[in-house]
Amino acid sequence: MSSAISVQNLTKDFRIGIRSLKLRAVDDLSLEIPRGQVYGLLGPNGCGKSTTLKIILGLVTATSGAISILGHPSATSEARRRTGFLPEAPYFHKFLSGRELVRYCAQLSGVDSGKVAEAVEAALSLAAMTEAADRPIGTYSKGMLQRIGFAQAIVHDPELVILDEPTAGVDPVGSAAIGRMIHAMRDKGKTVVLCSHLLGQVEQVCDRVAIMDRGKLVLEGKVDDVLARRDRHVMTIESLTPAAREAAEAALSAHGAKVTSITHPRRSLEDLFRELVTGSRDA
Amino acid sequence: MKASLQRTIWICRVTFLEAVRQRFFAFLLILGAAMVLSSVSFRVLDFGHGELKFIADFGFGGMFLFGSVLAVVMTAQLFFSEMDNRTALTLLAKPLSRTEFLLGKFFGTWAVLGVFVLILSILLGLVMWGREQELLAAAEQSGKIPAQFSAGGLLSFALLQWFRLGVVITIVLAVCAAARTFLFAVVMGAMAVVAGQLQWIAQDAVLKPTQHGLYSTFLWVTSRLIPNLQQFNIGDALVLESASVPSGAVAMAVGSGGFYMVAFLVLAALIFRRREI
Repeated sequence: MSSAISVQNLTKDFRIGIRSLKLRAVDDLSLEIPRGQVYGLLGPNGCGKSTTLKIILGLVTATSGAISILGHPSATSEARRRTGFLPEAPYFHKFLSGRELVRYCAQLSGVDSGKVAEAVEAALSLAAMTEAADRPIGTYSKGMLQRIGFAQAIVHDPELVILDEPTAGVDPVGSAAIGRMIHAMRDKGKTVVLCSHLLGQVEQVCDRVAIMDRGKLVLEGKVDDVLARRDRHVMTIESLTPAAREAAEAALSAHGAKVTSITHPRRSLEDLFRELVTGSRDA
Repeated sequence: MKASLQRTIWICRVTFLEAVRQRFFAFLLILGAAMVLSSVSFRVLDFGHGELKFIADFGFGGMFLFGSVLAVVMTAQLFFSEMDNRTALTLLAKPLSRTEFLLGKFFGTWAVLGVFVLILSILLGLVMWGREQELLAAAEQSGKIPAQFSAGGLLSFALLQWFRLGVVITIVLAVCAAARTFLFAVVMGAMAVVAGQLQWIAQDAVLKPTQHGLYSTFLWVTSRLIPNLQQFNIGDALVLESASVPSGAVAMAVGSGGFYMVAFLVLAALIFRRREI
């Protein structure tokens, strides 16, 4: 079976200014994104992530290289029919209600007329936007805009969902909700490509990551593989007394091991925040 | 084909809804309506022409002026709002072709201008009919018969104005497809309207024999590339002397307008296809 996205030797040069100076945004990038996984595309601002996504979606033309989506050349109608996209900081027509927007996108995405209503309700439900669906988009909070953007991206039941900075500017509760939606998509066998520089979230939701810098790919692999330090180990111990600590260190030393640090485990501020404001929503 | 048509209709529908909600549209519609309605008050300035002719010319002027401003500014605004707000990113990432997107924008904007022309034409018709009744009553006493107002002629005129504005919209769309800024598109669109109004000068000149081959070629190319917007301005003849308008003149003008609309839409689609969003 072909990859969800296959990128071969992709290069993109922009011409800038009157003198048409060349700016290389993506430099000989090759990627294979497997199906059915959550894939994180990481990198600092200006590293070429968004340009890569735009080329994949056919919004920008590549200077050289080849891209296919689910076995079809990118930018073809067939490839787009099977792809959903949520752009960074999405903006939608404010006069439409959430339900009207999702219906509009369903029609543009080629959902059968007889199935539009059902597809719209399913997408709104997955994005937890059913209650607010009849309000004008102009009244939505940032988190709700992202969620309705997510709903319009998945309304045609695409096999591949591309999310560009889906949690930018969203509070931790909204961010966690989007994380749950991403997991729900993976559970349905969809491929999700997540472009972000929020490393904590990427670590939580992604199966594989690629890191880009200055248009080049600098690292790619499974999250567990790229993060694990195979020469270090962590033990979590309850009721550690000084005597028990000395005995443990002596026992480990006898086998050639060395304790380099002992600290108290911490929970993340995000976990604490979510624990304290549990159940709250930004609806 | 059916799916493509449906997608175009959806873009058209949302474009129409967005346009009619704009205050700019309402403002120019009110200004145009005020100009048409106030034409009766200004009829003392008729410079010796018939009253109905003055009222008709005043109304046509309002329709031309505010319709042209709407066609140029609203088309550019509706196009660049999609680009600058990046809603085009969301839409064009779907199985929607760029030609469908442009066609939807065109028909949505053209429909709004259709509403504009229709409302002003109805108002103008009411004003002219009311004044005609007054003049006819006065004529019965004086024995001098005034010019007669033709509702069918007014309808033909409205159709011609709608096509003229359609040509302007397509020119502005072609400019927008290449332009980077809203301001550039508006300025170029306004210049295109002025050039279209003056195109008959080039058309007249090309008919006169000249020794300068380069000049003749320039005039010939100019007279073909730029549509003659003056050909749609036969309003007073249609409304007041409809019998004097040659048969087929309206159809010729509509056909010419349709040809230029298709030509500029094809040009816009070709340019927009290569644009990076």
